[in-house]
Amino acid sequence: MNIALGLQDFLVTRTKRSWEPEEDLFASGVVSSLFALELVVYLEKAYGVEVEGENLSIDNFRTIRRIEELVRELQAAAS
Amino acid sequence: MSDALGSARELVSDRVGDRAGEWDRAGRLPLDLLRDLGSAGVLCAQVPVKDGGLGLSSKENGELTAHLGALCGSTRSVATSQGMAAWVITRLGSRRQRTAFLPRLTGGELAAVAFSEPEAGSDLAAMATEIRRDGDDVVVSGEKVWITVGAYADLVVVFGRFGDGAAAVVVPTAAAGVVVERVEDPLGCRAAGHATVRLDSVRVPADHLLGAAGQSLSLLVTSALTYGRVSIAWGCVGILRSCREAAASHARSRTQSGKPLAEHQLVAEHLAELLVAEQVATRMCEHASTCWDDGSPDLVIASVLAKHVAATNAARGAASAVQVLGSAGARDGHPVARAYRDAKLMEIIEGSNEICRLLLAGAA
Ligand SMILES: Cc1cc2nc3c(=O)[nH]c(=O)nc-3n(C[C@H](O)[C@H](O)[C@H](O)COP(=O)(O)OP(=O)(O)OC[C@H]3O[C@@H](n4cnc5c(N)ncnc54)[C@H](O)[C@@H]3O)c2cc1C
Repeated sequence: MNIALGLQDFLVTRTKRSWEPEEDLFASGVVSSLFALELVVYLEKAYGVEVEGENLSIDNFRTIRRIEELVRELQAAAS
Repeated sequence: MSDALGSARELVSDRVGDRAGEWDRAGRLPLDLLRDLGSAGVLCAQVPVKDGGLGLSSKENGELTAHLGALCGSTRSVATSQGMAAWVITRLGSRRQRTAFLPRLTGGELAAVAFSEPEAGSDLAAMATEIRRDGDDVVVSGEKVWITVGAYADLVVVFGRFGDGAAAVVVPTAAAGVVVERVEDPLGCRAAGHATVRLDSVRVPADHLLGAAGQSLSLLVTSALTYGRVSIAWGCVGILRSCREAAASHARSRTQSGKPLAEHQLVAEHLAELLVAEQVATRMCEHASTCWDDGSPDLVIASVLAKHVAATNAARGAASAVQVLGSAGARDGHPVARAYRDAKLMEIIEGSNEICRLLLAGAA
């Protein structure tokens, strides 16, 4: 599954707007305090990865590009 | 019902039974009860079998929590804290930390979770507790208030500031510098061992610092509270179940003005409302637990919704039950009187009514 496309869908549903790949999701004030956890749960289910405690840095989830990298790293580590 | 859920329910029925009133009046739960329920895995029943737990789904654990909540709000509070401690270690810890700590929580040790401080209640961003590394140790300083299970706990999962971010650390209450002082005479859940926990430069090994150290406080706290909210919500379903049963049974057996209370329409209305309150709360909890079991991101807001609906319904439902029983329920020691006091507190903890509404408004 194309990670960026899936993520865009998820983000549009949650935030009711679209996002550029390098745009900071957390700087905008659009996302709620619950959003980061929703994103983590979504990534785990959608891409079959396990986000361990040490990966829970907001910097890993700051942009679509960065999230894509994280998912690829976790997928590679698991296989 | 799975075998594991069936046996856990049976153990709870057998060990708790109708003793909650006695424990509530004494303000203490028997420690051997907590150790026995703990070592049977009942207090954190979602912990996977490989870590010594019962491996229940969220829905099964919810059913168990409701059963416990119907019998004893204090023991249910202990289970909420223990389950949340296990969940925090699972969500925020490393694989190694899960293997190190979870078998202790399913082996009879008791755990509390500490966020609140004198100046940080609803506003946890005001948390002042400091967690810092010092060589091979981690040093924790601060004061935590109203910590459920604090008076019984072997371990406290303490949240605090860590550098620019936040962290959670597992602190043994036997460590030097930990002082635990009971909150005397709480309004409800009186035997749940609420305590102030003071941490004066407490030193613990660095591997007690959960893996997510340095990350956003809001993410760490939301992760923990999501479990706590689902658990409290199911506990409130239990309160509603016991209140509906007590009110219906009393209204059918007591006669006034020539007929059973239940046949007076204004009393019957209370019974109908109690049934509605219980059913609506149950459906909300089932939804949150289904989201949990399916790994749906909707879980986060569903947990707030379930907690809010179940807590407000329980507070209102318990008040109706006392009303239906009249003087028969207006006595300390009666299950509906206890439910009335316990339920009110459910509107304050794990995100008060007002905080839940603010979160729900954000999702609207
Ligand atoms: C029985 C019990 C068990 C507890 N167990 C634990 C535990 O195990 N661990 C732990 O860490 N803590 C625990 N607590 C503490 C609990 O989490 C806090 O009491 C709760 O977060 C509320 O904080 P507060 O009491 O300081 O109230 P405050 O935050 O001072 O709030 C007082 C009132 O103002 C309202 N309010 C506050 N801020 C806002 C706002 N921004 N907008 C609108 N209304 C607002 C609140 O809703 C509330 O009605 C427990 C408390 C109780 C009573």
